[in-house]
Amino acid sequence: MSARRATANGAGFVAVALVAAPVLLGGIYSLLAALGVAGAGAATISASRIVRVLSDAETWRSLTWTLLTAATATSLATAAAVVVSVRLQESRAGRVLAMLPLAVPHVAAALAALLLLGQSGLLSRLAFAAGWVSEPAAFPVLVYDRTGISLIFAFAWKEFPFLALTGLVVLQTAGQSLHEVAQTLGADARAIFRRVTWPLLWRGMTPAVLAVFAYLIGQYEMAVLLAPSDPLPFPLLTYERISDPALNRRGEAHVLGLIALLLTIALVLLHERVRETLGGWMGGGAHDRAADDRGERYDA
Amino acid sequence: MPDRAGRDRPARAVRGNVLLLTVLSLVSLAPVLVLVLTAWQPPARYPSLWAEAARGNADGNVWTTILQNTTLGRAMLTSLLLALLTGLTATGIGFVAARTIARISVRARRLIAAAAFLPVIAPPLALGIGVQVFTLRLGLGGSVTGVLLSHIVPAAGYLTLFLLGALTAYDSRMEDEARSLGARPWQVLLRITLPALRGPIVQAIALGALVSWGQVALTLIVGGGIVRTLPVELLAFVRAGDDRLGAAAAILLTVPPLLAFGLVQAGARRTGVGA
Repeated sequence: MSARRATANGAGFVAVALVAAPVLLGGIYSLLAALGVAGAGAATISASRIVRVLSDAETWRSLTWTLLTAATATSLATAAAVVVSVRLQESRAGRVLAMLPLAVPHVAAALAALLLLGQSGLLSRLAFAAGWVSEPAAFPVLVYDRTGISLIFAFAWKEFPFLALTGLVVLQTAGQSLHEVAQTLGADARAIFRRVTWPLLWRGMTPAVLAVFAYLIGQYEMAVLLAPSDPLPFPLLTYERISDPALNRRGEAHVLGLIALLLTIALVLLHERVRETLGGWMGGGAHDRAADDRGERYDA
Repeated sequence: MPDRAGRDRPARAVRGNVLLLTVLSLVSLAPVLVLVLTAWQPPARYPSLWAEAARGNADGNVWTTILQNTTLGRAMLTSLLLALLTGLTATGIGFVAARTIARISVRARRLIAAAAFLPVIAPPLALGIGVQVFTLRLGLGGSVTGVLLSHIVPAAGYLTLFLLGALTAYDSRMEDEARSLGARPWQVLLRITLPALRGPIVQAIALGALVSWGQVALTLIVGGGIVRTLPVELLAFVRAGDDRLGAAAAILLTVPPLLAFGLVQAGARRTGVGA
């Protein structure tokens, strides 16, 4: 290797470090702050902040609520994405319509949900025109509600295009020829779906589904506009702690941040496992892998 | 692309698809329409859909409202500046990082790619509270520069992975050839590498800009409420009960990504790649 090439590589590793270092350093700092040796109100090392956060019922209520909301929204978005990618493969208009929410930033989508689903929102007004409700208070509470309905819908609306896109790519790259083979062999539409389309889809989409779930756990700005204040979503709880006037409570934000980070890393590891076991299509071997597996595991 | 729509598809399935398309257009368009409706007219009294005195009134024109509002204009400029600089810087860092990762052994590549994946998947708030201390230490808390640095973190990780994909498919032997013919490194970069990877690089800049464009959590934490981007102002408008300006901000936020997607789609069609 020439000296010049070595310098180029050196610059490259600096760039790699630039990419990864902020999170690593930030994580280490958060760990120190969680242990009480860094940041506001720092003193000696102690696990008291961690214990306080972990023994606080609010932490667990917030975490459970956030996980449930994210899981429901992810399921909803996945179902919609499967339907769209299977039924509208050949429809250009369908694909364009399905991709539209991608262009709408999360905060804008959340405001739209607020204006649409609020008690004096557009749906409520349409319900009034239809004679179903007589005043805003008669319209069901869908915003800031404990069930998180508006947040779930807004999450699902915003994330389903990404999943639909993934589904469409999976079917386009791997499904085409298998579909034709199955058809030639006399399989009817239902058999093709059960034995070709569905196995390809769920294998191809699982990593994306996990990514969406992980993303939604940490989503801040949609929760800020649509979620209830009790239980407070996890990202909002973290923000409340980091801006707490009582300085020693700020350290608790770092504990919460670390919990969120660990949760996401666990999901990424799961994602890697899933990709390995399913022989992810991202590796480019989807077609071969699907062909290799033909028959044995489709009904599993 | 071969058409397997099947001329003999049962009429029931076609009807089902028409229904599905109708539902899909309602679901996809309704949120956008409600934003336009809210921004377009002064607040309409419940249960009316339209404001009474809207038409003919200067106040009824959304563009007048937007143009007259300096807060919105300034926020738009801040957001555009941040998005552009994030896109360019993160593409630069991502490109150099991806090139290095692409050249090393597959085993090490997986590890380093996983490290680049961290900023992408880290929850913005967890990332924000971790990064905040460094921007404060650098004296950049509450400054546009500090916010820019924080936006670059997730964008650079994302673009490293994106460009790694493009570089894996890229054949670097042409560079070796140019080098053996005596080309200098900058000549190779300007005449071979950049032209060959023009498409992915332009897309990377756009993607990086989008990461910054919609960012809220990092802006709030690192910017400390002092740096006012368009999404931050949107939240402030809605909190102050001004849905109309909030909706106007939402539309301003939606137009650039829409244009970017349109361009990418058009580019993909012209080159025969993808949808």
